[in-house]
Amino acid sequence: MPISEEHVGRSYPATAPYEVSRAKIAEFARALSDPDNPAYAGLEPVAPPTFAVVLASAAWDAMFADPELELSLSRTVHADQRFTWNRPLRAGDAVQAQLKIEKVRARGATAIITISVLLSTTDGEALCTATSTLMHTNVEAA
Amino acid sequence: MSIQAEVGQSLGGFTATFTRESLARYAGASGDFNPIHYNDAAATALGLPGVIAHGMLTMGTALRVVTDWAGDPARVLSYYVRFTKPVVVPASGGVEVRFSATVTAISDQVATISIEATSAEVKVLGSATAEVRLD
Repeated sequence: MPISEEHVGRSYPATAPYEVSRAKIAEFARALSDPDNPAYAGLEPVAPPTFAVVLASAAWDAMFADPELELSLSRTVHADQRFTWNRPLRAGDAVQAQLKIEKVRARGATAIITISVLLSTTDGEALCTATSTLMHTNVEAA
Repeated sequence: MSIQAEVGQSLGGFTATFTRESLARYAGASGDFNPIHYNDAAATALGLPGVIAHGMLTMGTALRVVTDWAGDPARVLSYYVRFTKPVVVPASGGVEVRFSATVTAISDQVATISIEATSAEVKVLGSATAEVRLD
């Protein structure tokens, strides 16, 4: 049975700890054509705010791997994205991400799914919440 | 150190050019290797006109209007966008995306900023809004 309202509230184990590195911050800032912001350079840089997506999308994998939901990334459209930050991610942070299904609305063959991913340090400090709306087309309709 | 803002204030803007190289860089930096961002056949199979930019590349680039103004990216408290229109990136040359931002509200030392992102005069992000701590 595909994803439905009965899956609201389901959460998945947190991802393995990911250590934010200076090199990855620099690479991400460059990919955003923003390599010159001093906040992203030096010995103790912060990550560009939307770097949080690197951790959040890693947490999506657990949901897409859940056989009960019958989801496929190739039939998924990312409709909107929200981030709220308690503080920036910094080089040296060891970060885990945990996904929870917040809302599901089925409309015919399409499911509109709201998920939240909480990013926390391995010490339990909450850093950021990344909330996404995904539009998924069930396989039967394809 | 606080920063000054008033409702209606323009934060300026800039134009970015997205090329296939931009998409390859963002794929590597973000880990998003969905083939619709580098393979025309994969994109057209899904009904797209061709390879499209990662929505998160557009979202991340747009926030520069805010962080360039605010100075410290730690001032950004929240950020929301709807991905309204895909940005098609041609195999040669590139596509220009224009970004700008305006302060729309201030409350309790937090400014709400509305961000515009357009390509060929079509909005590519909807309801793009960031909250920035001023104090």
